[in-house]
Amino acid sequence: MTAHFSHLDLLESESIHIFREAAAQFRKPVLLYSIGKDSTVLLHLARKAFWPGKLPFPILHVNTTWKFKEMIAFRDKWVKEFGLELIEMTNHDAIAKGVNPYDYAPSIYTDIMKTVPLKAGLDKYGFDGAFGGARRDEEASRAKERVFSFRAEGHRWDPRRQRPEMWRLLNGRLGAGETARIFPLSNWTERDIWRYILREKLEVVPLYMAKERPTIERNGQILMYDDDRFPLKPGEKPVMRSVRFRTLGCWPLTAGVESTATTLEEVVAETLGARVSERSGRLIDHDQVGAMEKKKQEGYF
Amino acid sequence: MTAHTALKESNVTPLLKPGALATAAPELSGLLRVLTCGSVDDGKSTLIGRLLWDATDLFDDQRATLERGRRVDGGNPDFSLLMDGLVAEREQGITIDIAWRYFDTATRRLVVIDSPGHEQYTRNMASGASHADVAIMLIDARHGIKTQTRRHAAILDLVGLKRVILAVNKMDLVDWSESRFRQIEHEFRTLMWRFGFREAVAIPVAAVSGDNVAAKSKHMPWYTGPSLLQHLEEIPSRGTEPVGAFRMPVQTVLRDTRADFRGLAGTISSGTIRVGDTVLDPVSRRTAKVQRIATMDRDYEEAIQGQAVAIQLDTDLDVSRGSVLAAPEAAPVVARTLEARFVWLSEVPFDKKGSYLVRTATDLVPVTNIEIKSLLDLDSLAVHPATACKVNDIAIANLALGRATAIDRFAEAQETGSFMLVDAISGATIAGGTVTAASPDIQQQDNVFLLTRAMLARGLCSDVANTPEGEAEFRRRSNEVALLLRSAGVAVEVESLPDYVI
Repeated sequence: MTAHFSHLDLLESESIHIFREAAAQFRKPVLLYSIGKDSTVLLHLARKAFWPGKLPFPILHVNTTWKFKEMIAFRDKWVKEFGLELIEMTNHDAIAKGVNPYDYAPSIYTDIMKTVPLKAGLDKYGFDGAFGGARRDEEASRAKERVFSFRAEGHRWDPRRQRPEMWRLLNGRLGAGETARIFPLSNWTERDIWRYILREKLEVVPLYMAKERPTIERNGQILMYDDDRFPLKPGEKPVMRSVRFRTLGCWPLTAGVESTATTLEEVVAETLGARVSERSGRLIDHDQVGAMEKKKQEGYF
Repeated sequence: MTAHTALKESNVTPLLKPGALATAAPELSGLLRVLTCGSVDDGKSTLIGRLLWDATDLFDDQRATLERGRRVDGGNPDFSLLMDGLVAEREQGITIDIAWRYFDTATRRLVVIDSPGHEQYTRNMASGASHADVAIMLIDARHGIKTQTRRHAAILDLVGLKRVILAVNKMDLVDWSESRFRQIEHEFRTLMWRFGFREAVAIPVAAVSGDNVAAKSKHMPWYTGPSLLQHLEEIPSRGTEPVGAFRMPVQTVLRDTRADFRGLAGTISSGTIRVGDTVLDPVSRRTAKVQRIATMDRDYEEAIQGQAVAIQLDTDLDVSRGSVLAAPEAAPVVARTLEARFVWLSEVPFDKKGSYLVRTATDLVPVTNIEIKSLLDLDSLAVHPATACKVNDIAIANLALGRATAIDRFAEAQETGSFMLVDAISGATIAGGTVTAASPDIQQQDNVFLLTRAMLARGLCSDVANTPEGEAEFRRRSNEVALLLRSAGVAVEVESLPDYVI
């Protein structure tokens, strides 16, 4: 007898295994939900892992208030549909002080608006394990990430102190002050995420589909003019372009691509034939050499 | 499984043009994890980079990165940049950890696990190899098989790898000589038979020029075997070969009160299970029949190794996390004593007074005693008597467990026959082990204090309910107390449930 597994079947089973293992080993886990396509897949796999029960943990969303409007609407719809327990964290102090993605360098903005409230949320509720949608194929320093990634007190990630992982065994026993990040999508690629969304007929934020949108072209990248907080430079005027997004961060920091792919099938076809890796559209990663690794050491996901 | 189009396995490997995958099937028909080992000098990074460059779907920006690394002398792109990672490494110019890379050929996903060729290589290679389906061992054609090749083979064998490829690189520097290759191939075969590999093949390559990497070499017409890529595409995909007797370590119990559903959730670690089959809980020695094999998508009549499912039994066996559902005719041992081989992964050496735990597939068991018996010499493959053990050592040891747990011999069932040794205090992963023998007998120890269930139930666990969850909590508290006492130097054991006594 030869059963036939596609590579997606294997990835799905592995992720479900990781979810179940972490939920059993950690005292109080939480799922970090960012609304994007990876979070969509992450949440779907979590539901499969614990079906027919409910998710045995809440979901945490760090809202910078600079998220696309369509993203928040999408999030709220899912929360309602699946009866999820949502915790939202925002750095209100920073917003009051006027921190924004235009006047601050991407790395500083990300630290203040994402990393700080993320750490605050984890500390406030005493979460000892946090599920994230990070993939090893995203970036060079991620390629060495473990499935269970340990953080010392203060959420610091030390690449030299990570635990070796062998076979399918996962060791989630925490030392004093330690917490863990758990990455069930470790072995997925961007293409797998899309293939799986298509196969499972998952709904994604409409921003991933091409549509005529008001845009600004700057430094060779197409940025979306989502609301009037976008400070225009002299001579700049929003132009309508058919664009979509491969990755969704904060809207002023996420560049779109010109595309006519308006259906999921077309988006998948376009992604499978893509010539440029997805994070090239994320401005924060290009900020400095080893940017992602540095952000991680400071506690970013 | 969800319907998908299986691509025909082809003997001729197409070289992928950028964008070619847009027309490929939405799902790849297989997945293979490939470990690469060898030293930097042998051209390992170049070989893998070349494979990615020639045969897969690299993005333009990745290609551009490699082009930027092109040496001033106009040589090849710097292929090694693809496998590079951490800043610290770039500074040191060496690989210090395992890196994972993913690429698609026309038919399957190849996951390349790169393990370092320099210091700490034993532990890194062992952990990398434990995730792999096949290993590419790289050697320089000019130097042939070296001691290092033997060490690598020993480590691969230890963690249960079944397929190896010897890539004989730099064939251009030995004038594409057939006799040189045949000589190395012969040595390799002689070396390999003593290990437990299922398949060992040698392929002559030249990584820099790409000869026999993706495309067949024009310089070596005498070689009629497959190119490296062709061979990788012909190896059976992960998950297509169910082996051994049925095992499913129980991860958690899923309930649906509305539908009277109690599903034992887990990933089938070996063999096959069908609705109606009888399964055994080895610890309680009770059996039940499989009523449903359920997932959120649909129920299955049959499920195999690698599938994550929830199994509902016709009678409640009272099993919970830590149990291993098994085929009754070939059950695991309910062991109190293990003989094992392990790779010491921690920088902290073995401490006779330390508090250790054994983490099996889903159980966590206190260790009452570890007796190191010998260390394996990777160069001579001989064992030498020893009582100590430190990082990168491969030790043979006896472990006495604080209570019985279901475990297999690694040779019979890898996933339920392997374990991690965990430091009970720091939580750190100390060693990765494989079970060579398991026994229900309790190892003799002098002056061991027995924490009886009655003693624990009277006070510490007086609030614990008489349910499976309660029993788990009871065990957890008992083990924690035992750990504290042990770290204070008191030899102590926790009494097991009457049923558990063998």
